Amino acid sequence: MKIETFLSSIGNEFADEAVEELLHRCRSRVDRVLKRIRRPEAAVGVVKSPLGDLLVAMSARGIVLNHYLHDAGDLAATIGKLRLVFDPVEDQRAVKGVGEEVRRYLAGDAKALRQSVDLTLVAHSFQKKVLHKLQAVPRGAVVSYRGLGAAVGAADSARAVGNALHDNPVPIYVPCHRVISSDGRIGGYGGGAARKLQLLRSEGFELDKSAARIPDSVVWGHRGTKVYCRSNCRTTARVDRVQILFFADPREAEQAGMRPCKICRPA
Amino acid sequence: MPHEKLHLPLLFEQIMQRHEREIMRYLLRVSGNRDDAADLSQETWLRAYRAYPRLQPESDVRPWLYAIAINLCRNRARDGARRARVIVGDNEGNTVGRHHRFLDENEGYAAVHMREMIADLPTKQREALHLRYFAGLDYAEIAGAMGGSEESARANVSQAMKKLKAMW
Repeated sequence: MKIETFLSSIGNEFADEAVEELLHRCRSRVDRVLKRIRRPEAAVGVVKSPLGDLLVAMSARGIVLNHYLHDAGDLAATIGKLRLVFDPVEDQRAVKGVGEEVRRYLAGDAKALRQSVDLTLVAHSFQKKVLHKLQAVPRGAVVSYRGLGAAVGAADSARAVGNALHDNPVPIYVPCHRVISSDGRIGGYGGGAARKLQLLRSEGFELDKSAARIPDSVVWGHRGTKVYCRSNCRTTARVDRVQILFFADPREAEQAGMRPCKICRPA
Repeated sequence: MPHEKLHLPLLFEQIMQRHEREIMRYLLRVSGNRDDAADLSQETWLRAYRAYPRLQPESDVRPWLYAIAINLCRNRARDGARRARVIVGDNEGNTVGRHHRFLDENEGYAAVHMREMIADLPTKQREALHLRYFAGLDYAEIAGAMGGSEESARANVSQAMKKLKAMW
């Protein structure tokens, strides 16, 4: 007999039943351990929206990922990151609603975004704090990077806030588009500045396609005093901008529970 | 890319279903022992689950699984050598030869002899030989499982065969 044939036959005499029995034993032990260390499942799919294609992932607790898709490489990389925390299962039906919600939201339906948000993909506590705090900024208002930093107890951390927002896994639902430079410039956006403008426009801000700054028509609401002013009110020159929310119009400020300034009478 | 297939990687369960037989058989043949094979296979799949997110979707699953399995065999051999110095002849004295405990009584003398010769090979040559003749991987896959190049996989197998033939 040739040595190769003989080698291939060594240990080959294990009967199929014996192997099956071993497999059965092994499988039940593996299953028992897996039950404890399993990554949670996430339904994944691509949905169309007026803002382009979105890669969406939903866990049992809510939306974990809402990613602006650029190209195929981007898709693979994003799913790669998702896999570190979740076991993705393709399920277009489970995520379809997100596309619909985004479409309705951009059309002006303020209550369209109904999914609860699951920030499991956010690993850093600072980023978690920033994104959590950001959810308190209402539709129709924007805050500055500095201001948001101060709100999480980290003054002078505008850049860090910017980085935290850049890696926001759930844009639109966690409204990172509502954060601008403290000098009034619109600033950047993970999905591109055009999408940021589009979102802010749908929330009531008067911005044209190439706008670089928020318009003068915004009113300044002070988070501490709960007073809102015109942007040219004489008090705005001195105020600590960290405390300011910029509202698209007086009505939005009123809705956020603020009263008009008695000097500039914005209402 | 609207509604394009996502090309998600296979679910872990699918991989397990597809390859568990193959891995179990491989471990049985390498270890020659049911209990060891069952332990090693369990450990292989748990490790594979933990490492699974880092497996690129387009890369080949088999070399990756065998890499895990041979690493575990290596650890087992090392720990076994340590333990063997203390405990002699566990498991109702089914210790045969210097290196292997054999499960199968039907295995002929030639096979026992061959196992001993294989056990005396240098680690890399032995592993490459196992992967070639027990798992039936090709050289590219062996290189993937063991690290290193296809040429070195080929060289390891051929060195091993040369030695075995000399003693055959």
